Amino acid sequence: MNAISPTLAAGHWSSETAGEGHAVFNAEGIHCANCARSIRTGLEALPGLRRVDINVVDRRVSVVWDTARLNLASILAKVAALGFKPVPLVGERAVAAQRLERRTALKRTGLAGLGAMQLMMYAVGLYAGAFSGMDPALAEFLRWTCLVIATPVLFYSGAPILRGAYDDLRRRVLGMDVTVALALILAFVASVVNTIRNVGEVYFDSVAMFIFFLSLGRYVEMRGRHQSANVTEALARALPETVQRLDSTLTTPSRIPLGEVVVGDRLRIGSGQVVPVDGLVVQNVALLDESLVTGESAPVTRTVGAALLGGSVNAGAAFAMEVTRLPQDSTLHGLVRLLERAQGERPRLGLAAERMASWFVVRVLLLTAVVGIGWYFVDPSRAFPALLAVLVATCPCALSLATPVAIAAATSHLAKLGVLVLRADAVEGLATIDRVMLDKTGTLTAGTPKVLRCATRAGVEPARALALAAALEAGSTHPIAAAFRPHADPTLHCHDAREIAGAGIEGRIEDQRYRIGRASFALEGTGDASHRGTLEGVVIADARGWLADFRIADELRGEARATLDALRALGITPALASGDRHEAVDFVATQLAISEAAARLSPEDKLAMLKRSQQAGHRVLMIGDGINDGPVLAAADVSMAMGRGSPIAHAAGDLLLLRDSLAALPQSIEVARRALAIVRQNLRWAAAYNLAAIPLAALGLMPPWVAAIGMSLSSLVVVFNARRIAAPNGGH
Amino acid sequence: MSSIYLLIPLSLLLLGVGAWAFFWAVNNDQFDDLDAPARSVLDDDPQAEVNPSSAGPAQSR
Repeated sequence: MNAISPTLAAGHWSSETAGEGHAVFNAEGIHCANCARSIRTGLEALPGLRRVDINVVDRRVSVVWDTARLNLASILAKVAALGFKPVPLVGERAVAAQRLERRTALKRTGLAGLGAMQLMMYAVGLYAGAFSGMDPALAEFLRWTCLVIATPVLFYSGAPILRGAYDDLRRRVLGMDVTVALALILAFVASVVNTIRNVGEVYFDSVAMFIFFLSLGRYVEMRGRHQSANVTEALARALPETVQRLDSTLTTPSRIPLGEVVVGDRLRIGSGQVVPVDGLVVQNVALLDESLVTGESAPVTRTVGAALLGGSVNAGAAFAMEVTRLPQDSTLHGLVRLLERAQGERPRLGLAAERMASWFVVRVLLLTAVVGIGWYFVDPSRAFPALLAVLVATCPCALSLATPVAIAAATSHLAKLGVLVLRADAVEGLATIDRVMLDKTGTLTAGTPKVLRCATRAGVEPARALALAAALEAGSTHPIAAAFRPHADPTLHCHDAREIAGAGIEGRIEDQRYRIGRASFALEGTGDASHRGTLEGVVIADARGWLADFRIADELRGEARATLDALRALGITPALASGDRHEAVDFVATQLAISEAAARLSPEDKLAMLKRSQQAGHRVLMIGDGINDGPVLAAADVSMAMGRGSPIAHAAGDLLLLRDSLAALPQSIEVARRALAIVRQNLRWAAAYNLAAIPLAALGLMPPWVAAIGMSLSSLVVVFNARRIAAPNGGH
Repeated sequence: MSSIYLLIPLSLLLLGVGAWAFFWAVNNDQFDDLDAPARSVLDDDPQAEVNPSSAGPAQSR
């Protein structure tokens, strides 16, 4: 075990905020619930440790600790002392570790396969010889040959199983490896003894076959795990270590480490390079491939002043950018952190299955003992094969794999659709919803409102009114402000702007006081009360009275209609919950044929609407922009945040929609439903197999080699079944 | 029948050769990427892209 250097620990493994350290790493050697439990128990014994989350499928361990009382090095040392090997999650080392793990597993599987084939041939010879009277010397020779082949298969290919069982026993837990290793060792030792004594049966072929199928299953499962880890790693690996900082004249670049970048720095992004942090284009037009961060494959053009997402790749000529967020606050970093947190979490479904599997192991061992003793009194010669068959056939591998493999496959498929799973239970939740509650602005509509009509008081130029409004709204982040931005006049500046939430903005332009907002606010104190009832839109007024009444509306997203139709086809009823005006909401609801639409809702009203829906027995997916809808998103059965344009790291959703489009939503729900169906199928299959195999094995009707095939195939079926999630129509 | 005492060790030898060949292949990247090489014939010839008049060298000056 390599020592972990403190610098490495500080730089690549963890982050520290306000006395609390966070780290996520892989622990090689985890393969069952009991391994996870022993790490958890071991770590929780450390003083200062606040939380441990372990994902068995990804082998991810995420820890939170009190930096005053504990450091990462001692946590990692503890993990290593428990018999697991901590490896960093991202970067070259993780990739190399993954490759080594994959290659070793492949070699182990290959050797076991070759050995098993050869051993089966000899076994056929031995069986046939036993019936037709083989020369005893030849039989002895064949048995010794089998021993020669089976030994490397057991000790090389079977090493992870033996090692796992040893670690389990040392930690005083009963894992799945214990039963498997017990079966392997019993069969092997009995075969060796029989070979030396030259009497009785040998089980070398069963040993090799069992190891082969187990390694194959683990290999396939490992490939899937590496694939689902690739999404995060691709993101994290994308960041360069150094960047080219430009001087104030934007001409001479100098190389500095990414960590030294500060807000306001200007960076040169060469052709093919990755935008390291969030920022703005300051020179030239940028052609960007944002597929890494948003999943959108078509390159997008960003002109001077436009926002850039860290992690996009420059697909065009070199340009200069200005840094607006530090690397650790940038979109890409936020995404990586969210994903790491999600992957470190264990889904409820998986937890239940793991508990079931470990409960099972204890029963299997008890049952084996009972069967062995029972047969000893009935027919001692058949006691050993029956005991072996029970041990092998009933190993709950399939049962404990059933859920995690399906969830992992669904997660990686959803990522390809541009939907990130941020909470482990989200897949299950998404599969069971029958109602979706949508926010309007930014969700069903593009979120970029336009001024559709501008009615002015006699003598006021519409262009002048628009320019004044644009100046007042210049500093505002309210969606309405965006509508005026195209009408801005650079010569007009607003001073002392004051935004009154829910009402409007007040400010001074050219020493005149102006107000913009709802009529009641804009006309307050102007003495112009006569118009208060007739002005409906956004009103701008000076000290004397109203100047203009703007009618502002937000355009529907192009895909909104098709998405809602697809949702209805899936049996999901859409509902609209908006804080916007009645007429705007009604307009959208009519266009999209949404029957349940509510307008002018405060966040509390939205929450109440959601609760009513849930009390009526519906399972609700809430889709919002992820910031203003925080409490509503949290209360919904599942929530989805629109990732674009919001500070991603603070998004509150269970799922994050990376692309600025709803189009992936129906497909995501289908994927989730398929995943849940496969989980259930897998669990039923695994349980049925175990229940059917136990009596057969216990009654001695199942020879050990059949048990080995049966048990291994049941795991393989589960693993391959989960892969169907990615290829819905049997692959195309 | 005694030929079997020669043939079985021979089969063991073949098994050894097979295992060695497989290990060699795994260690020499033969199984690391099973998809991309099949598509590589469709990719553009990398030599066609190396063009001295492209923007790359001009920018680095």
